[in-house]
Order: sequence, then C-alpha cells, then structure tokens
Amino acid sequence: MAKRTRRSGYGLPVILAIGVHVVALLMTILRLPESEPEPSSSSVVQATLVSDVTATDQAQYAQASRARNAQRQAEEEAQRQAEADAAAAQEAAAEAEAQQQAAAEQAQAEAEREAAAQQAQAEAERRQQAADQAAAERQQAETERQQQAQAREQAEAARQQQAEAREQAEAQAAEQKRQEEAAEEQRQEEAAEKQRQEEAAEKQRQAEAAEKKRQEEAAKAAAAAAAEDALADSIANEQERIAGAEQANQASNNFINLVKRAVEDRWHPPAADGLMAQVRVRLGPSGELLAATITRSSGNPAFDRSATQAVEAAAPFRELRQLDAGLQRKFRDFNLKFTPGDVQ
Amino acid sequence: MNDSMSIPHLIMNASLVVQLVMILLLAASIASWVVIFQRSFALSRARKEQKAFDERFWSGIDLNELYKDVPENHEAQGAEHVFRSGFREFNRLMPKTRSSEAVLDGVQRSQRVALSREEDRLNAHLTLLATVASASPYIGLFGTVWGIMGSFQSLSMSQQATLSTVAPWIAEALVATAMGLFAAIPAVIFYNRLSAIASRLLGDYEDFAEEFHSILHRNLQGRSHQAA
Repeated sequence: MAKRTRRSGYGLPVILAIGVHVVALLMTILRLPESEPEPSSSSVVQATLVSDVTATDQAQYAQASRARNAQRQAEEEAQRQAEADAAAAQEAAAEAEAQQQAAAEQAQAEAEREAAAQQAQAEAERRQQAADQAAAERQQAETERQQQAQAREQAEAARQQQAEAREQAEAQAAEQKRQEEAAEEQRQEEAAEKQRQEEAAEKQRQAEAAEKKRQEEAAKAAAAAAAEDALADSIANEQERIAGAEQANQASNNFINLVKRAVEDRWHPPAADGLMAQVRVRLGPSGELLAATITRSSGNPAFDRSATQAVEAAAPFRELRQLDAGLQRKFRDFNLKFTPGDVQ
Repeated sequence: MNDSMSIPHLIMNASLVVQLVMILLLAASIASWVVIFQRSFALSRARKEQKAFDERFWSGIDLNELYKDVPENHEAQGAEHVFRSGFREFNRLMPKTRSSEAVLDGVQRSQRVALSREEDRLNAHLTLLATVASASPYIGLFGTVWGIMGSFQSLSMSQQATLSTVAPWIAEALVATAMGLFAAIPAVIFYNRLSAIASRLLGDYEDFAEEFHSILHRNLQGRSHQAA
C-alpha cells in the first residue's frame, strides 16, 4: 500500500506531451525531404537576354522586314503584271518614275555607267528582264493611255492632247533611236574589237547582277519606300555587327546573368506554351528599376504582366554599382526576352 | 511541393496574429496532452487501488484492523477514503449516542463529503480538456479568417490576381485551422474516455459506500437487539 501513496506527478506527463508534439512535428518535416528530390531543380522558366542596346532590335526588325519585303516583292511582281493591263497603268508609270528617282545613289551610278550595256542586253534578253518588261509595258500603257486620253479629249478638246501625244510619240521615237544607235555602236565595236566583246560580256554579266539588284530595289520601291528600306538595311547591317560584338561581350558578363537568374527566380508564368514577350528594362544609377515596359507583346496579357512583375519583383539590381562607369551606362537599358521552357 | 510551401516555412512566414494564434494553439495542445497523460496515469492507478481495496475489504478482514492497518501519514484515496472517513465518524459517534439513527446519519454525511472530494479529485483538470476540445477549433478558425483577410488585402494591392499571390496566405492561414483541429481532436477523444473512467470509478465508490453503510447498519441493528 505504501508504494501507491505517491500521487501522480506532472513530470512524466509533461515529458510525454512534449514528446508527442515533437514526433508530430518531425512527421511533418521529415516527409518533405523525401518528396523533394522528385521535382528537383527542373527550372521551368528560361528568361533569355536579347540585347543591352536596341541595335539588335533594329537588326531583327530589319531582318524581318527584309523577309517581308521579299514576299511582298514576289507578290508585287505578279500584281504589277496584272496591273499593267489594267487601267491603273498610269500609277505604274508614276511608280516607275518614282523608282528611278528614289533608287540608291550607287544603283543610279551603276545604271548610268552601264546604260549602254543594259540597252544592248535589253534587246537580247528583253523577256527575262523585268525592268525592261516594265519599260515595254510602260510603253504599252502609255499608248493605251494616249488612246484613252484621246477618246476622252475628242469629247472635250482634242488638239492639246494630240499635241502631247505627238510629243510623247516623238520622245518614244527618240528613245528607240537612241537604243538603235547604241546597238549599232556596240555592233560596230564587236565587229572592230573582239577583246572589247569579252569586256562587254563581262560588263553584261555585271550589268545582269546590277540589273537584278535594281529589280529588287525597284520592287521594294514599288511596295513601299525603297530608299528608306535600303538605308535601314545598311544601318541594320552595321548595327548587327555592333550588336554581335556586344552580345559576345555580355555573354561573358555576369551582371546580365545575375539579372537573368534573379528575374527567372521570381517569374511565375501562367500556363501557356509557345509565347514570347520582350521587356525593356531601364535602371537607375544605383540599380533601381525605373521602368519595365513590354516592347513586344506575346499576345497574352497575363503572360506579359507576369513578365513585368517578375522584373519588378527582382529589382533593384544592386550589382550594377559594382560595374565600371562605362559598363553601367551600357547596362542601364536592356531588353529581356521571356520564353517559357519545357513546361513541367 | 516546393520548399516555400513546407509547413515550418509557412509557420515562420505567417503574420503576427496568425503566429500568436498558432502559439496559443500549441500551448493548448501541449497542456491538453499533459492533462491526458496525467489523468490517464492517475485514473489507472485509482482503478488499481480500488480493485486492491475491494479485495482486501471483502477478504473477511476485521474492519478495525483494516482501519488501523494504514500508516498515519497516508492520505487515503478512493473507496478507502470513503471507508476511513465513514468508519472514523462511526467510531467517534458510537460512545456518544445510543441512537443508531444518529450514528448512521453521521456516517452517511461524512461518506458523502468524502465521495464529493473523490469526485473532485477524479475530475480534476478534465475541464481543461473540455475547454481545449471546444475552443481550439474556433481559435484556429479565427487565425484562418485573419490570414485570409490578409490574403485579400494583398490581393487588392497586387495588380494581378493570380493563385500564386493568394496561395501562400491561404496555406498559412489553413495551418492555423489544422493546428486547432490537431489540439481539439485528442482533447475530445480523451475527455470522453477519461470522464467515462472517472464516472465509473465514482459509481464504484458510491456502491462501496452503500455496501459499507449497510454493513454498519447491520452491526447497529444487532447491537440494539442485544441492548434490548
């Protein structure tokens, strides 16, 4: 009986109660490391840097526009042949004139230098050369226009128009005469000097190349403002070279990698495949975010917003201050391209 | 399940109110488990003592011997307590009065007092279990509601309502409810179980008190016959 006189104390129950809670806590914690290795570190998100200056953008746009122009050129050629017969021949003539004016300086220079060669060749390969076709078509169009104009003018006042028509006919005749003269000259030259024939053949080949180039440019001019495109092309080529050099630079630069990783970590893209958004990021001198704007939308507003939010969440990029002053200026404005990787 | 959604991480990142609720619930849970263990031990020991005393009482031992057998500093518990208080009162009253009615009344009164003390002892701290069982789900629910309020506030501040802006808040809010249930469920189960054991023991004590009372009554009847 004496053994049992001790009242039940609280020491053992307290220890047991704490033990129960520790076990329960361990059960919640220890289950996590087992389930964690499965997902591991499959980074769903890949934010790829496009460039640090907008030069690459222009280059990309120029490439895109060039591809577009090639398409448009083909379309325009087909369209132009169709149009030539149509009543819109007046516009075609105007365009052809505009194209001559707008053609690049070198093209004009080459055209002038090799005018004789072109005309000689034009007789032989008139069918193949679209520009000469255009010239022939222009002639046809002009004659058609004359007829139409005459028809119209007969109703009103025929004399002035007839005079103009006569002037045009004279101009045509003069052109034809000139061509014939050039051809005769060349024939004489061919007969006189075979060496010069070889040179002429070379010139013809060059002329062909130049002519093709001129055709392309002429088609562009017919599609849009050819001069601007040519200018943009030359600029884009230069900038592509610059941007290429700079991209090579920045590949080794870890600041951009830091930014990329920081943004990737905070990016929660909505479930959507095959989207791509481009965000322009402007930073202040100490790395704080001034603006994050969508420069190229993915078409999905939620996706775009997730991209800008990721940049906003990742800012500020304090590492900017550790860079040189020149590099700092360079990295204060750059673009980030967001493309979801292999989702899940 | 990524690391940021693990339960310890959620608890650490919860807002202050939710964390306080969680601490309160953890304390309640620990306290209820302390009571559960302490009461379980105490009641199982009481049952064992009750069984042992029953055997001794009905083994034909002389009641005076049984009364004197226990050491002085021993505090009697359970049926033994009832027996001792009743027998002490019987012994005190016997020389003073001839009326058996008065003696039995006194014994019964002292036994009732002893029974009431035993009942208090058996049910000690069980009210804490009952309180935890009934209140902790509400406390946890309060934490959850508070957390979800926070989640909606953060939702109103963010420009875009994605699941990822709300999910951590709701997850950590739900942890509070989970902890409330974690504290409440064992408390409910053990409160029912322990109070059932206690009431059964109390019933045993009452039965014993009645039996002991009838024994004393029989003795008094015999004595009054002899006196007459």
